[in-house]
Amino acid sequence: MKRIEEQTYYEILEISPDATHREIQQAYEHAKETFHKDSVAVYSLFSEKEMQDIQAAIEGAYRVLMDETSRKDYDQSHLSALNLKWPKSEKLPEAPESPMGKKTYLPFSEISIDVGEGPYRGKMLKQIREKMGIELKTISSETKINLKVLERIEEESVERLPVQVYLKGFLKGYAQCLGLDPKKVIEDYLSSMGPTKKK
Amino acid sequence: MGQAPKMNQKMIWTIGGGKGGSGKSFVTANLGICLAQLGVRVILVDADLGGANLHTFLGISPPDLSLSDFIQKRVFHLQEVLLSTSVPNLQLLSGAQDLLNAADAKSLQKRKLLRSIQHLDADFILVDLGAGNALNVLDFFLLSDGGVLVVTPEPTSIENAYRFLKSAFYRRLKGAVSTPSAKALIDGAMDRKNEMGIQNPSDLIEAMKRVSEEEARKVGEEVEGFLPNLVLNQVRTKKDIEVGFSIRSACKRYFGIHLHYLGYIVYDQDVGNSIRKRRPLVLENPRSKAAQCVAEIASKLANKHQAAFRLQGESG
Repeated sequence: MKRIEEQTYYEILEISPDATHREIQQAYEHAKETFHKDSVAVYSLFSEKEMQDIQAAIEGAYRVLMDETSRKDYDQSHLSALNLKWPKSEKLPEAPESPMGKKTYLPFSEISIDVGEGPYRGKMLKQIREKMGIELKTISSETKINLKVLERIEEESVERLPVQVYLKGFLKGYAQCLGLDPKKVIEDYLSSMGPTKKK
Repeated sequence: MGQAPKMNQKMIWTIGGGKGGSGKSFVTANLGICLAQLGVRVILVDADLGGANLHTFLGISPPDLSLSDFIQKRVFHLQEVLLSTSVPNLQLLSGAQDLLNAADAKSLQKRKLLRSIQHLDADFILVDLGAGNALNVLDFFLLSDGGVLVVTPEPTSIENAYRFLKSAFYRRLKGAVSTPSAKALIDGAMDRKNEMGIQNPSDLIEAMKRVSEEEARKVGEEVEGFLPNLVLNQVRTKKDIEVGFSIRSACKRYFGIHLHYLGYIVYDQDVGNSIRKRRPLVLENPRSKAAQCVAEIASKLANKHQAAFRLQGESG
């Protein structure tokens, strides 16, 4: 658990980065209630100063995440940072929005390349991408997945990859971007890592 | 009743929470009955060594055989003091009745008792703990990775539960490391105003790395593996129910501990009535609101059990 000043707004509100407006609102109300000065759940734990800091952080997180433009700017500058320790969420975070549906979409999947049938491990994904002549940074800007994370996925740097729940989301985004079957890519990739990868 | 889950692995749930009167024994007894009714083999252990009365919650008179007989070496095997109950699949290991120093059971005796409890033959072993956070109570609580805290939505109960959780957490960490310097660092970290600036488990792990990478790895594993649960008892309002979520958030922010909110039990006059009649609520009045809450928690535990061993089976 990081200190509050080191946490992302999503961590402060205990939500996943794909939280809807409604979820943000609910999380904000819960956080406000929890860290209220009269709350029975916290009065014995935090000092007045700590409570003020937490309350300020909650307000700041809420203000930014509820405003679409501010949130987008924040996501671009923070969520692509390397330390991807997002809060545990019961829900699997969705992959970053695939560029497939956008008008600006680069029709990677329409490029006639034999992508094979897998197994889709890091090296294989890299080969397919290179055959398509796509730079990794293009994938990064289209999927909003941090470049270093994509590099680690291709290198299969198991120990430096994000936790599985987020890794799945990234693999889904990457696979969609290359026009591959996301389910198959996720399955192949995770099974290639073996059972030791943290959940 | 639901179909009997196919289980052949054991799960130990220790039920504590710091404050007396929060409903630990009530929860243990009624949860045990609900689980047994689901078709799994359950043993209830009364480890409230200072004030054992789990038998009363089950409607059983003070039994002749109890943990005292085991501690005093009048019987050799723990299973010899197991008592059958009127509920199929449910057995009771009654607590010490007359052993004044049972609460201070010597370390050797305690270790033997803990080991023997772990070896009992059942699908579920529910261990009812005494109040307070004496080392004996903490050691029984730590028999399980997933102990259950029974708390009422009142400041005193919550405060005691935090104290209990913190003591158990650090005792677990301390038990995992072997060098005196690592143990001293954990002792120091328990004080939030420590001069090392350690505020949470991540800070502790970082500081431990400077002592020893190996000790830091062990601490990391123990932090990850500590998965306590919360049952909020005697809730009266929707706001009370939400206190459970607030406790969860507070634990995460303050201790860095992931506390799972297992469920809540509503305040119900029928609970008091059943205790006075010395009849378990889930048998006396299974349709009461509190009994339904307990049944729901039992069903969650049974699902956890199945999921845990299914996963183990898949990876094994």
